[in-house]
Amino acid sequence: MKKECVAMLLAGGQGSRLYVLTGDMAKPAVPFGGKFRIIDFPLSNCTNSGIDTVGVLTQYRPLELNSYIGNGQPWELDRANGGVHILPPYQSASGASWYKGTANAIYQNIGFVDLYDPDYVAVLSGDHIYKMDYSDMLRRHKAAGAACTISVMEVPWAEASRFGIMAVDEEGRITEFAEKPKEPKSNLASMGIYIFTWRKLRQYLIEDEADPASENDFGKNIIPQMLQNGENMVAYRFEGYWKDVGTLDSLWDANMDMLLPGSGLNLLDRRWPIYGRTPVCPPAFVGPEADVGNSAVARGCTILGEVKNSVLSTGTSVGEGAGVGYSVVMPDAVIEPGARVAYAIVGEGCHIGAGARVGAPPETAEDPDQWGIAVLGPGTVVAPGEIVTPGTMLDRRHSEEVEA
Amino acid sequence: MNGMHGIIFSYEKKTGLRELIEHRVHGSIPFAGDYRVVDFILSNMVNAGITDVGVIMHGKCQSMLDHLGSGKNWDLSRKNGGLTLLPAFAYTERRGGPAQFRGRMEALGCVSDYLAHIRQEYVVLCDSDLVINLPLQDVLQTHVESGADMTAVCTSRPGDSGDTYFQLDDTGRVTDTAGNLPEPAGFRSLNIFVLRTELLLALVEDCAAHSEYSLRRDVLQKRGTTLHIHGYVWDGYAARINTIQKYYSRSMELLRPEMRAELFRPDRPIYGKENDAPSSYIDPSGQCVNSLIADGCDIQGSVKNSILFRGVRVEPGAQVEGCVLFKGTVVKRGAILRNIIADKYVTVKENGTLMGHEAYPLVIARGTEV
Repeated sequence: MKKECVAMLLAGGQGSRLYVLTGDMAKPAVPFGGKFRIIDFPLSNCTNSGIDTVGVLTQYRPLELNSYIGNGQPWELDRANGGVHILPPYQSASGASWYKGTANAIYQNIGFVDLYDPDYVAVLSGDHIYKMDYSDMLRRHKAAGAACTISVMEVPWAEASRFGIMAVDEEGRITEFAEKPKEPKSNLASMGIYIFTWRKLRQYLIEDEADPASENDFGKNIIPQMLQNGENMVAYRFEGYWKDVGTLDSLWDANMDMLLPGSGLNLLDRRWPIYGRTPVCPPAFVGPEADVGNSAVARGCTILGEVKNSVLSTGTSVGEGAGVGYSVVMPDAVIEPGARVAYAIVGEGCHIGAGARVGAPPETAEDPDQWGIAVLGPGTVVAPGEIVTPGTMLDRRHSEEVEA
Repeated sequence: MNGMHGIIFSYEKKTGLRELIEHRVHGSIPFAGDYRVVDFILSNMVNAGITDVGVIMHGKCQSMLDHLGSGKNWDLSRKNGGLTLLPAFAYTERRGGPAQFRGRMEALGCVSDYLAHIRQEYVVLCDSDLVINLPLQDVLQTHVESGADMTAVCTSRPGDSGDTYFQLDDTGRVTDTAGNLPEPAGFRSLNIFVLRTELLLALVEDCAAHSEYSLRRDVLQKRGTTLHIHGYVWDGYAARINTIQKYYSRSMELLRPEMRAELFRPDRPIYGKENDAPSSYIDPSGQCVNSLIADGCDIQGSVKNSILFRGVRVEPGAQVEGCVLFKGTVVKRGAILRNIIADKYVTVKENGTLMGHEAYPLVIARGTEV
C-alpha cells in the first residue's frame, strides 16, 4: 500500500554518554518526564503529524524498547496498513552485518521502505526531546522541490562549534555544511531530522554502501555527498523546544524544563499531546505531612515526605521525613524515610535506604569543579545511612562505581 | 474445569445517586480518582482468567459504552470471545416498551440467545455497582469443591436493611434468604453468584415460563430449598455505591492507606481506561496534603483530604477540602470548596464558596458553572 511519507526512527544507539542509565536499555527507552520514555516524543510527533508508518531501527539492547513499543497502540500506530515496525539487523543469503552507521541502517531496510513505495522518507533520531510538526516540514520540502530538507535551529553563536552547522542562502538553500566547525559561518545547527525524496535517498544509499571508505553515516557521508553533487537541499527553520538528551546533564535539564512555564516543553500543554504506555496503578497519594512544590507527580506515587523542584515518575514512593529536591526519580524507585536526594537522577527501581544521602546542592560543594549530578543506575540499592557524593555514578547491578 | 464466563448487570435501577446518574448508569460513575465503578468487577474477572464477559445494558448506557469500548483496556478485545455489550434490544420486542428490567432473571431472559452460546462451564453473575477486589478464581474453586448448585458471595460486614441477607449453616449452606429486614441479620449478599452454565440456562427458561423475573425472590427464595446454595464469605473491601452519602464516605475512606492496600493490590491490579494525561503538576504555591491525585492535574491552590480526578485545575488562592472533583473540574482563584462532589467539567467561579457537609455532601451536576 502506497504511503506518501514513511518515517525511519534511528533507535539503535547505546547512548554511552548516559552511562549507567543505558546499561540494560537503549537510550530511546530511558524514562522521561514522569510518564514517558524518550522515544514517545518522536513517535507522538509522527502520529500528530499524520505519519502512520514508522520503522524503528534497533540494535543495542532492544528488549526494553521492543516490549515498550509492542504493537504501537499507545501511539495509534497499530494500523492495518503501515503502523510501527521494529527493524533489527538481520541475516541474509549474502551474510549478516550489524548496522554499520545511520545510513547503513536505512540501506539495510530499503526493502521495508519500498513496501510502502513512499515519495518521501523522514529520518528521525530516537533520542531528542521536542515537539515538531513533520507535516509542516514536508510542505517546505515539497514546495522547494528539494532532494533533502534538514531541520535547523538557531543556537547561541558561542555554542555553534558544538553542532553540525549549515550555511544557507536567502532562499534557505543549504550552501555549506560543516560538522563541529572551529569558526562557524552561521548559527544554524542541524537537529538531525531529515526529510528526503525517497528516490534520491535510495540512490545515494546504494552508492554510499558501495564506497568502502565511507562510514555510512548521514552527517558525515550522505549529506556532504549530496551537497557536493549540487542536489537541491533546503533548511527548515524550527522554532520551539528541542533538546538532544544524549548526556546526563542534558537529560536532567530537559526534565527540569518540563516544570518551567514558558520552556516550550510545559508538562500540561495539551496542544501537541505526547502519548505513551502507562503502567496500571492507582492515582498518586500525597500524604498528610507531605510538602510538594514545583514538581511533577505521576500515578502510583506515594509521597509522605518533601518533594521540591523534581520529577517523580510512576510508582515511586517517598517516605516520611525524606526529602527530594532538584531530582529526576524514575519509575518504581523507593526513597525510604529520612533519606535525602538532591540534584540526582535516580534510575528505575532504585532503593534508597532510610537516612541515606544521594547528591547535594552545588552551593554545599567544597570544590565546585568536583560537583555534579549524582546518578544511580536502574535497580541500585543504597544502604541505610549511606552517602552517595555529588557527581558519583553507581550501577550496583553490574559493578560498583562507574568512571565518567 | 473449563473456565468461567462473566455476566455484569448494568441497567438502571432505583438508587439514591441523584445527579451522579443523571447522565449515566451507576456502573459508570467515576470512582477512586481514575476509575469507573464497573472497572473493579471487570478487573476481578480478568484477574481470575475470565476471557469472555457479557454486559447487560439498559437505559442511559452511552457513558458505559464509551467507557468499555472494545474492552481493550481490560484485555478483553479478543478474536474469540472477549467483551460483548448486550443492549436491551430484545426487551422492547418482548415487553413492548422501553421500561426498566424488573429483575435480573428478566434481564437474563432477554439475552437468552447470548447465554445459549456461552463456551464456559461456569458463569459468574455480578452487579456493576460494587467496588471490590475479590479473588473470583478462589470463589470458583470453592464452588466446585463444595459441590453446591450455586455459590453466593456474601459478607459478615453489616449493610442496609434493604439488602439481601443469608442465613448459613455450619457447612456454609444457605438456609434462608431474606430482604427488607427491619434489623439486618446474617450474611449480607454481595450479589455475586457462581453456577454452572447449564443450570443458569435452565433457571432462565423456567423463570420465563412462569413469568418470574426476580433473582432474589424467584430463585434464591422460591427455589432455595431445592437448590443447594453455598455462601462464600468475603470480609475484605467491598463497597456498594448506591447513594450519594455512601459514594462520598467510601471515596473518603480511600485516603486511609490500609483501605487502598485492600483495594489496590499488585497481585490483582485494577484496570481502568487508558489515558494520555501527563503527570500532575503541583505548584510551589500549592499546598496539597492527604489527597489522591490522578494525572494531568494543575494544583496551584490548596487541596486537603480530597480526591482529584484527571485534569483538575485548582487556581492560586483556591481552597479545596474534603471534596471529590471529577475530570476537568476547574476551581478558579479564591474559590472555597468544602465537602463537594463536582461532576465532570464543573467550573467554580472566582471567589465562589460552596459548602456541603460530611454527612450530606453537595453534588454539582456535570458541566455546571457556579
